[in-house]
Parts: sequence; structure tokens; C-alpha cells
Amino acid sequence: MSTTDLEDDLRGTFDRAAASVPPATGLTERATTGARLAQRRTWIVSGAAAVGVAAVAVVGFGLAGSDRPAQPPVAGGQAPASTTPAPQPPTVQSVSGTWRAVQIAGLKSLKASRPDDPVLALRPDGTWGGSDGCNTLQGTYAIGQRGEFTAVIGPQRLVGCDNVPHTGVLQAANRIAADADTLQFFAPDGRELARYARAR
Amino acid sequence: MEFEEYVSARGQELVRLGFTVSGDYQRAEDLAQIALMQAFRSWRKVRKADDPHHYVRRILINSYLSMARRRSFTEAPTAEIDPQHTVPDPANDIANSDDLWRALAELSARERVVLVLRYYQDLDDRTIADVLGIKPSSVRATASRALATLRKTRHSNRVDERLS
Repeated sequence: MSTTDLEDDLRGTFDRAAASVPPATGLTERATTGARLAQRRTWIVSGAAAVGVAAVAVVGFGLAGSDRPAQPPVAGGQAPASTTPAPQPPTVQSVSGTWRAVQIAGLKSLKASRPDDPVLALRPDGTWGGSDGCNTLQGTYAIGQRGEFTAVIGPQRLVGCDNVPHTGVLQAANRIAADADTLQFFAPDGRELARYARAR
Repeated sequence: MEFEEYVSARGQELVRLGFTVSGDYQRAEDLAQIALMQAFRSWRKVRKADDPHHYVRRILINSYLSMARRRSFTEAPTAEIDPQHTVPDPANDIANSDDLWRALAELSARERVVLVLRYYQDLDDRTIADVLGIKPSSVRATASRALATLRKTRHSNRVDERLS
């Protein structure tokens, strides 16, 4: 077969493939909704940063304007019980990375075979992504100063398989805790919903 | 041109481009959506470009190549897939009837993209190089290698069919 024949065949194959694609609906709406979600995430992160800066400024002015010796910060009206430093609440920077579920409430099949690697990626810009094993996932999230957690689920496919329900965890969680290698999500009643280990 | 006008004029074309490069209809829609989302966020800049479609097409192609580089990109069918939730994929019909489409699956993502841009989008090598951020000579070398692979795969498939 000559190169020209092959090239002609390629053109035909691509044209047939393209013609077989059914009309996509709602492209404008999906694109604008997704972009607006990302924009809202930027506002949330900017707002949180502004609140953080304001809090630091207030504390700084308070300490600078006082005649009394500086007092250590007191949490919840109680004096610290020991000199051991309290664990720092997580931030979008500290939880940034790729995480693998090791325990999800009510799920027993975390080790099942799936087409994709079912990881959850949290990014420092406030977006999250990953895969439930057969669908690409995406969205935005925010962490409050005391570990309050909220997430917005972005557009995703709904191919059924032995899905790892990252989206369910993120939607149900209202608090997050983390150390270097472990991430925990908690329900409003304080129950641990899921535990993740750092993959990379 | 407003964003909505662009999507109604060229949106389906983007899905088709996504399908020819990825061979997967769902992924094609994802790629079109990603490209349009990014374009929407900087539409003022995009609409001022000489060719807005070229700009959006470049986003789509590079999103696909980024996806392909990720380890989790490769999908394999598993017994656990629930048939109630799967979506009919036109790629199945083409794969059953077109040996060249099947042979395209043997190529690397970049090789396939070069062939799609050259033979489906009818772009010249200089424009393809601009889309991919490589030199025109690399485009020619990639296309040549891809065509040689296709020729070989197609030939061996036909021999197999004759023997079976």
C-alpha cells in the first residue's frame, strides 16, 4: 500500500469517526457553569486569605498596643494543658497532594480491580481531582481555620463500576484533619467518614 | 463573537476532534468541556486572537496529551462494570468495521494527534508544530513514524485474518 493510499484511507476513517459522534447537548451551559464554579472557588480562597490577614493584623495590633506583657494565646478560654504544641489545623497547602483511600465508612471493596487508579488529588489552589476508579472527578474545596471543610462537586461522568465514593465523602464531610501522611474526613456528628494515606 | 455563538458554531466540532484523538466518546465530551471552560475564563483574550478556534483547539489537544501522560489514563474493561450505567460508544461500531481505526489505537498519543491534525483537520506541519509546541521537523518525523506503524499493523492484521 502506498503512502498516498494510506493517507486517503486515514482521511476517510477520521471523517467516518467524526460523523458518528452524536450531537453533544448543553456544551455552553456546562462550560460556563464549570468556569463559574472555579471562579467562585477563587473568591472563597481570596476571602479566606483576607480574613486570615485581618485576624493576624488585629492580633498584632492588640499585642503592640498593650502595656501588659504579652500573654500566650488561649484556646476556648482554657489555659494550655501542656507545653506540647497543639496540632496545626490543616490548610489547603498542608493537605495538598495525592491520597489513596484506606478506609471509607460502609465500603469493603477498596482493593477491587478498577480501570483507573482511584486516587483523590487535593491541590493548593483549592481544586480537587482524581478518579473513582472509572470516572474522572473534579471540583473545588475550602478549609476553614479550625478544619471546617466544604467541597463543591464539579461535572463528572457517571460510568458505573466498583466506584470509590470520593465525592460522597467530600459532600458528607464537614471537618478535615491531617498530618503528613494521613487525611481524615469527619461527618457533622463527629463520626470518621474516611481515612486516606498519602500516595505521593 | 460572543462565547455562546462560538460554542454553537464550533462546539460539536470540538467534540468530534476530541473523539478522533481519544477514540472515546465520553472522553471527547470531557475534552471539549475542558477546552471550552478554559476558553470561557479568558474569553476576552481568546476572542481577540486572530483565530479563536485555533486557540481553543490547542487547549483541547494539550489537555488530551496531558491526560495521556498520566498513569491512570489507560482504561481497561472490567467485569464489574454495570451495564445499566454504561453509555453506547460510537467507537465500538467503528472499531468493528474499520481496521485502520483499530490500528490507530496502537499509536502513541502524540503520533495519533499529529495524524488527526494533518489528515482530519488538514493543518500544515507548521501549524501542527505551533499547536504542539514542537518543531515542524519533529512533526514530520512523528507523522512518518506513525504512518510506518499503521502500515505494518494493518498488514499483519490482514495476514492474521487470512490465516484464521
